[in-house]
Parts: sequence; structure tokens; C-alpha cells
Amino acid sequence: MPVAEPALVVRGVTRRFGEVTALDRVDFQVEYGQVIGLLGHNGAGKTTTIRLLNGLLAPDEGEVRTMGLDPVADGAEVRRHTGVLTETPSLDDRMSGLEAMRFWAAMWGVPKDAVDRRVMELLERFRLTDRARDRIGGYSRGMRQRLALARTLLHDPPLLFLDEPTAALDPVAARGVRDMVRTLAAEDRRTVLICTHNLAEAQDLCDRVVILRRGRVLADGTTAELVGAASVPVALILEVEGEQVSEARRITETFGEVKRVDGGRIDLDGVTRERLPDLVAALVEAGVGIYRVAPEEPSLESAYLALYGEETEG
Amino acid sequence: MNWRSIFAIVRRDLTVVARAKAVMIPLVVVPVILFVGLPLLVSFAIDAAGSDIEDLLPLIEALPERIRASLGDGSLLEQAQVYLLEYQFATFFLIVPLMVCSVIAADSFAGEKERKTLEALLYTPTTDRELYLAKLLGPWLAAITVTVASYGLYLVVCNVALAATIGRPVALTPLWVVVVLWLSPGMAALGLSVLVIVSARVRGFQEAYQVGGVLVLPIVALVAAQFAGLLFVDTAFAILLGSLTWAVAVAVMAVGFGRFRRERLLEQV
Repeated sequence: MPVAEPALVVRGVTRRFGEVTALDRVDFQVEYGQVIGLLGHNGAGKTTTIRLLNGLLAPDEGEVRTMGLDPVADGAEVRRHTGVLTETPSLDDRMSGLEAMRFWAAMWGVPKDAVDRRVMELLERFRLTDRARDRIGGYSRGMRQRLALARTLLHDPPLLFLDEPTAALDPVAARGVRDMVRTLAAEDRRTVLICTHNLAEAQDLCDRVVILRRGRVLADGTTAELVGAASVPVALILEVEGEQVSEARRITETFGEVKRVDGGRIDLDGVTRERLPDLVAALVEAGVGIYRVAPEEPSLESAYLALYGEETEG
Repeated sequence: MNWRSIFAIVRRDLTVVARAKAVMIPLVVVPVILFVGLPLLVSFAIDAAGSDIEDLLPLIEALPERIRASLGDGSLLEQAQVYLLEYQFATFFLIVPLMVCSVIAADSFAGEKERKTLEALLYTPTTDRELYLAKLLGPWLAAITVTVASYGLYLVVCNVALAATIGRPVALTPLWVVVVLWLSPGMAALGLSVLVIVSARVRGFQEAYQVGGVLVLPIVALVAAQFAGLLFVDTAFAILLGSLTWAVAVAVMAVGFGRFRRERLLEQV
């Protein structure tokens, strides 16, 4: 398998379903070992992108490469090296966890003499050993999600696609899945593409994110780059000399919205990151004694909302 | 061709079918009704008819000479029983493979879409050709198994339970060998090839199952035509019909394979 190319290449890809354009000239690429987040509202084109990268769909225009292969021509070979966690766990309620894992092991060509060892190892890793012989129909959502995640690792794929890995999970189960993803990426050095609506999760797990809107790439970069690109306003705590708080307030009001004044402390909102140096310079110029300037770290969520313009899509 | 994947899908599909009561009930109940209940009922009804048996005379007299000769030289009562159990039930028998494959194909294909288990299967390295073959092979093997089991059951009913009434072996003829080993597998293959095309277009088990029910109608027409004396299914006819069925089945399978693409399946996942 060629490794000189990036792990994933999506170049000028357009994909239509009848009159609907699901992806419109989409470009991005992912290097080996990266964890990338694919973000966007429902219908933005995230699942279509995963399907294209695995050869389940063909692009109408443009080029897709997965680990140096063309998924349209070499779909089976591509899928041999990828593990996909689908949005719904895609598990048969009438099978036991153990039966399902053995079935999927055969599907991915795990050597027959290694199947039971590999299956038991993964069931143990995902804390499912005790319920392995029970029908999946009796599993909780968290257990199903863990089993589906275990399934994606049966053939030890270097490339993982995780579509909404923590959707519909309780906070404890979601944290468990996030920890597992972190381990898969950091310790196992896998390339991971995550589709999620959970922006805190994306910020926590991903080296980089690509934001899709109506099938187009709206932004592509690290959280810091997106925050910069979006000119995201930040919340700020300012501590000044108590006697100068009125003067400080007058100046800060020209930069953002004062939310609270308590002694020498001013809580300010809506200051863009680019204007912070100007604010500090204005206070210094006015002779205000500054003890602390503490901007809140801008989040991916604030960048996402700023980029998306807080619009809603169906 | 990756036979390990193909047989893994076949085994998985048949395992989940065996655990679904809604699917298993018709697979057990229909053959029992058709090949235990019905022959007993027919035989007892003819027995009970007594002197009214002359009503069946036109039916027996209308039979071609070669078929009449095969009924033996017993009484009219015996000849009527032998005719119904030997010939009429042979065409009736074709309902079994069609019913079995339509129920199982509906569950293993449309049902899989309904249960949302298809998408994960599409993300495996299995090729479209392997997936298509596996989806045909599972229901077909099940249809053949149930067909042979039904035949065994029918032999026991006719030759053990009704031995005293009929007085000669029944369903141990070349016609039945052709029906069980040639025509029934062909019918199952034809039904399946149609159902796989249909199942790819419907969303759920019930919808696919209802379409499968329509496939039985030509067999019902065949049974009715034979009963009305419009045609007589003997060994030669069964071989010919089997050959035709296999030819059409292979043609429909070729069309189905041409249309069988992951992309099309995904449209309804």
C-alpha cells in the first residue's frame, strides 16, 4: 500500500443525489497519525464524505484517495485497511456479542486461528466480556457503542472513521468512548476521522477540524486557527487599581460589553482577540494600573458558531 | 471469490432467521399443514365419500392413458387417492421452496435494512459479487433443506400413516425425484433472484414478504390448471419446467447482479 501520499485526500470532490448536491468541490487532506474532526450541521455532507473515502459511493467530480488508493477502483482493498463506526451501531439484536464479533472477524479476514484470541482481547478491552454471550438486544446503548467500536478494531486498521461516536450516550459512557479514541490515536498511532456535533469533544480530541456547510468546506484548521479566522469575541477579566475603575470602565466600554464591575475587577464580553493589545495599550496610555488581564480561552464552539453565523439547517 | 466471507454471511443470516419467531413460524407451519394435514384430510375425505366417489370419475377418466396406467389397477377410490397424492401434491409441493426463500430473503435483505445492520456490512472488504452470492445462497440452501425435510415428512405420512388406506407406495417415483431435486431448487433460485431485486428496492421485511407472496401465484395457477385437467405434470413435464425455470432464474440473476451495487443499497439505508 502506497504511504508517500497523505492518509486521506479529497480533491475538488462533488457528489450529487438527484437534484441535491451533497458535496460541492470539497478539498482537504489528512496526514498519517492525525485526528481530524469533520464538523457541520445535519446534511452538511459528513457521512457522504466517509462513504466516498471507503468506496461505497463514487464522486461525480474530483478525486478521492484513501491511503494512496482509489476507493472507487480498489474499494475492497481500501476497506481492508479502514474501520468504520457507523452513526447507528449496526448490530443485530438476535446475535450475542461474541457471535457478532466472530462474524465480523471472518468478514475482515482475521486468520481463523487468531479469531477467538482477538475477539476476547477486544471484548476485554471494551469491558464486554461478562455479557459476551448475551444477545445484543439486551445491551445498553453504551454497550452497543462499545461493541461497535470493538468491531472497528478487529482487523487492526490503521485508519478509523468514527461517525458520531458518543451520540446518545450518557456522560460517563461518552467519556469512556472519548478515552478509548484518545488511546487509539495516541498509543496506537492510528489516523482517525471523527464526525461529531459535540464541539467540545472535537476540540478535546482532534488535531484539526474541517467544517462543512451545505456540502462545502467552510473552514479547515486547528482550533486556534479557526478562532483567529472567525475573529471570535472572547470574555475577559480585567483587574485594575480600585480608584481607577471608573476610568477603566469608560475605556473598556469602547471595546466590548461590561458585564460586571466588582471592586477593581471588570468582567468584559465581546472583545475580539485582535483588539486585546489595543485595549491594554489604551488603559496604559490613560495611566490605569493593570494587575491582571485574563482572556478566556476561545472555544471551537464559539469559532464554529461565528463561522456558521449561528444559522440553523434542517 | 472469498468463500469464507460468503459462508460467514450465510451462517449469520440463517442464525438470525432461526431466532425470529415471525420468520420461523411460517417455515414450520406451512409445510406441516401442506404435507401432513392436507394429505390426511384428502385421504380421509375420499374414504368418507364412500359411494359418492363416482363424482371423481370424470377427473380420473380425463387423465392421459400413461398417467392412468401409473395409478395401478386398484379400485376407483384407490386410484383417486393415488392420483391426488402422487401428482396433484407434486405441483403443490413447489409452494414450499418459494415460500421458504421468500420469507428468508425478505428477512436477510429487506429485514437487514430495517434493522439497520446493512451499512456495517457494506463497509467490509466483501465485494458486491460476494455479497450478492451470499444473499442468494443463504435462503436457497434453507429452501432446499426445508423442501427435502418436507418431502421426508410427506413420505412418512403417505407411506406409513396412510399405508393401510392406499395400499401401495406413494411419492417414490422419478417425478418426485425431479420435483424435489431439480424443479424445486430451480423455483427457489427463480424466486430468490426476483426477491433480491425487489428487496433492494423496499424498506422493510413486511413489504418484501408481501411481494414474495405474489411469487406463489403461478404455482397456485399450475395446481388449479392440473386439477381442472388443463395440463398434467408428469416426469417429462417436470424436467422441462425445471429447465425453463433454471434458465429464467439464471437470466434474472444476471440482471440482478448487474444492478446489485453498494451505492444503490445505500440509498435506502
